[in-house]
Amino acid sequence: MAINLNSFLEDYFTAHHCEILSNQDGVLKVQLNEKMDRALMNRPFYWHYIKKMGRDGDPMPLTLITNQDSLEEQGERIHFGSPRLQQILNHLKEHERYTRLFEVVHANENTALHPWLVVNIKISYIGKLKKDEVFSIGLNLINGIMKTEMMDSLLDKDFQAQISDYCYTITPLIKLKSGYNRIFSVINQYIHDTEHEWAKESLEELETEVDLLKHFYEGDRDEDLDQMEKELQDLNERYKPKIQLKVINGGIFYLSTK
Amino acid sequence: MKNIDIIHETSFIDTLEEKLDQDGPFSSWELFKMAYDAELTTITKDFHGLRALEFLPHMNFLPHQIETAKQAIEEMNGRAILADEVGLGKTIEAGLILKEYMIRGLVKKILILVPASLVNQWVKELNEKFFIPAATFRKHYPWDQYDIIVTSIDTAKRSPHREAILDINYDLILIDEAHKIKNHKTKNYEFVRALKKKYCLLLTATPVQNQLIEIFNLVSILKPGHLGNYESFLEKYGRDRKKINQDVYLKQLVQKVMVRNTRKDTMLDNAKRHIETVWVDFTPEEYEVYNELDRTFQPFSSFSKITFLRELCSSREACFLSLQKFANDEENQGREVLLPIIDKIGQLPHHAKALRVVELIKQIGDEKVIIFTEYRASQLYLQWYLQQHGITSVPFRGGFKRGKKDWMKQLFKDKAQVLIATEAGGEGINLQFCNYMINYDLPWNPMRLEQRIGRIHRYGQEKDVYIYNFAIRHTLEEHIMKLLYEKIALFEKVIGHLDDILAELNIDSFEGEVKAIMNESSSTGEVKIKLDNLASIIQHTHQNTFQEESHYGN
Repeated sequence: MAINLNSFLEDYFTAHHCEILSNQDGVLKVQLNEKMDRALMNRPFYWHYIKKMGRDGDPMPLTLITNQDSLEEQGERIHFGSPRLQQILNHLKEHERYTRLFEVVHANENTALHPWLVVNIKISYIGKLKKDEVFSIGLNLINGIMKTEMMDSLLDKDFQAQISDYCYTITPLIKLKSGYNRIFSVINQYIHDTEHEWAKESLEELETEVDLLKHFYEGDRDEDLDQMEKELQDLNERYKPKIQLKVINGGIFYLSTK
Repeated sequence: MKNIDIIHETSFIDTLEEKLDQDGPFSSWELFKMAYDAELTTITKDFHGLRALEFLPHMNFLPHQIETAKQAIEEMNGRAILADEVGLGKTIEAGLILKEYMIRGLVKKILILVPASLVNQWVKELNEKFFIPAATFRKHYPWDQYDIIVTSIDTAKRSPHREAILDINYDLILIDEAHKIKNHKTKNYEFVRALKKKYCLLLTATPVQNQLIEIFNLVSILKPGHLGNYESFLEKYGRDRKKINQDVYLKQLVQKVMVRNTRKDTMLDNAKRHIETVWVDFTPEEYEVYNELDRTFQPFSSFSKITFLRELCSSREACFLSLQKFANDEENQGREVLLPIIDKIGQLPHHAKALRVVELIKQIGDEKVIIFTEYRASQLYLQWYLQQHGITSVPFRGGFKRGKKDWMKQLFKDKAQVLIATEAGGEGINLQFCNYMINYDLPWNPMRLEQRIGRIHRYGQEKDVYIYNFAIRHTLEEHIMKLLYEKIALFEKVIGHLDDILAELNIDSFEGEVKAIMNESSSTGEVKIKLDNLASIIQHTHQNTFQEESHYGN
C-alpha cells in the first residue's frame, strides 16, 4: 500500500473532526462524532430511535489496530483489504469528489489567484482482463496551460476554503464546461494514439469462442437458438473490449501565479 | 481502436457546476487528497497477477492454489473446472478467484450453488477468510437484492425462484460438487445451462466418472463447442471413457478448461499420515457369544447375520438393540432361539475395543482425538464409557442441525478432548486443529475412510496426522482389514480413483459388493478368496486405466 495506514487513519478522523483519544504502537483510539458513527458503524435503527426520543445519542469510540504484532486485544485489526478499511476508502471515494480551494498565500500586497480546473481521472481497460490507469490533469482557465501530474504539483502547497488576505481571483476566460472538454479531448487523443494489444487479444478470443458456439448449435432446433443467443450475449459481456472513463474527483483550485 | 466501446460518465462536470453556483458544499483539501490516495491504492495497474494477495495478508496460500487462481483467470478467462483432489483447497482457490474479480471490479453479482449441507460453511468461509459478504437465501427476500448469494441448486431451480434467478445477469456462477450436474438430460443441468453468466467456476473432486460424455457435458457449460457438438463428439469418441487418456488432442482440449492438482504433485504431504492397525482380541466370553451368534444365524437370512456380527464387533449395545428388535418382530420364525444369546450379550463385560480406546487415548495424552464409529448405539456407549474414565467428549451426528454441528465443533475445540462422530457426521466438517483419529470400526467402502481422514488431513493441517484403525482378530473385521485395506494398499495410489475404477467395473456400491461376498459365502475360506479377487481386480483395473492419469488436467 502506498500510504502509511496509521497516519492515514489519524488524518482521516482528524479531518472529520473526531477526537483522537490516543495513538501509540499502531493502536489508534478515536472517539467518533455522530456524523462518523452514522457513516461507519452501521446502526441506523439506533440513531432513528434515539432521535425519535429527542436525545443526542452516544457516538461510539473506535479502536483500530494497524500493528499486526500488537498484543492489544480490544479493538479491530485493520489492514489493507479488511472490511473496515474498504469501508473507509469507499466512504472517501464517494463523498470527497468536489472541491473549491484557495492557495494559502502570506501576502502583504495585492496578489492575483488564477483559477485551475483540476480533474483526476481513472481509465479502466476492460477485456479478457482488466487494468486501470490514473491521470491528474490541471487546466489554467485563464491562459489554457495544461499540466499533467497535477496532484503531485499541488502537494507542496497549502489550501483552504477561504481566500487569503490581500488576494483576489481572476474571472475565468475559459468556461468550465469547455475546459472540461479540452481535458477529455487530450485523454481521448491519448487513448487513440495508444496500441491496444489487450483489445485485439480479447476480440480474437471472442471470435474464436463465437465460432465454437455456432458450431455447437449447428443444425439445432429453434428453441435451442434462444439458448445460443443468450450465450452469445454472455460472450460479448465477457470479452468485448471497452474503456471506461471515470472522474475520481476534481474541482477549482485558485493558485498564485508564482 | 474502432472496436473498443468507450464509456464516459459525464455527470461530474454538471454537478461541479451546480456546486459552484450554490457555493458548496466542498471537500476540504485533506479529504480531497485522501480520496485521491484511496483510489491510487485500490486501482489495478497490471492486467496480470493477483491483487487479492495484498488484500488477504492473513491467509497463507499454498503455491498450487495461487497458481490455479491465476490460471483460471488469465488463461481460462474465468471459466474453469477446478478439479483438485479432496483436501487441497478448492474452496480456497475459488475464494481467491472471486476476490480477485471483485477487487478488479469485474464481478458484482455472484450466485453460488452448493449442496444444502454446505451452504453455511461456504458463507462462513467466504466472509471470514476472504471478507466476501456472501449471504444465504432467506424467504421473502427478493433474489435480485443479493449481490452474493449461496444457496442449494434444489432451492434455486424451484419455481418461483427459478424464474427470478434466470432473469438476473450474473457476473459469476460457482457450482460446488459439479459432478452432480454432469448428466445433460437432468433438470439441474438444463437449469445451469440456462443461467445468464459471465464467468463460471465448476468445482469437483471427481471430474470423470463414468463416461466421457460427462466431461463433455461439464465442458459444454463453460465453453459450448470447445469439444465439438453433441453428435460429433459421440461419433468421434463414443461413450468409452478410456479414450481420454489415449487421445492426446482431447486431453489437451480438456486441459484448457480444467485444473487438477493432486496430492502428489503439490507435495502437500508435509503433514504426513501415519496409519496404524490396532489389533484387538475379544475376551473369551465375547468370542463365545460371537461364535454362537455366527452359528445360530445359519438358518436366518444371512444378511442380518452379517449386520449383527458387525454390530457385535462394535459394541454390545449396537448388537443388543437390533437383535432385540429382530426377536420382537413376529414375522421372523424361530426367533426364540435368539433369546439366550440376547441374554448373554446383556451380561458381557465392557467391550474389548472400548477398553483399548481408553488405553490409547491415555497414551496419546492431552491431544484432541476424533473417533469414528458406524453405529449410534456405540457412539452413546463410548461417550458414557469415556466419561467413566474422566475423558471429556462430545457427540457428532449427521442428523444434527447446522447450528448444533457448529456448536459441537466449537465445544470440541475449546472444551472437550474427544469428538465421537458417526459416519454421516463426517461430511463437510473441517477439523484441522485435531491430528489424531481413531476408526473404531471400519467402513466397508475405502472411499469413506478416505473422506474421514480428509476431515483432519487437509489444507491447514500443520502437524502429522495419526490414524488408528481398529479391528478385532478372528472376526469379519479381520477380513475387511487384511483383504480390503492392507491388500489394496489403498492409501498409496488407488484411493483417488476408486470411484472411477468401480464405474469401469460396473460396480454400483462397493459396500454392497462386500456385503454380497460375506452373505453368499458359506465359509471363511470362501470369503477370503472372494475378497482377495475383488482386491486384485481393483488393482489390475487401476494399473491399466490410470497409469497416465497424472497427465490429465494440468
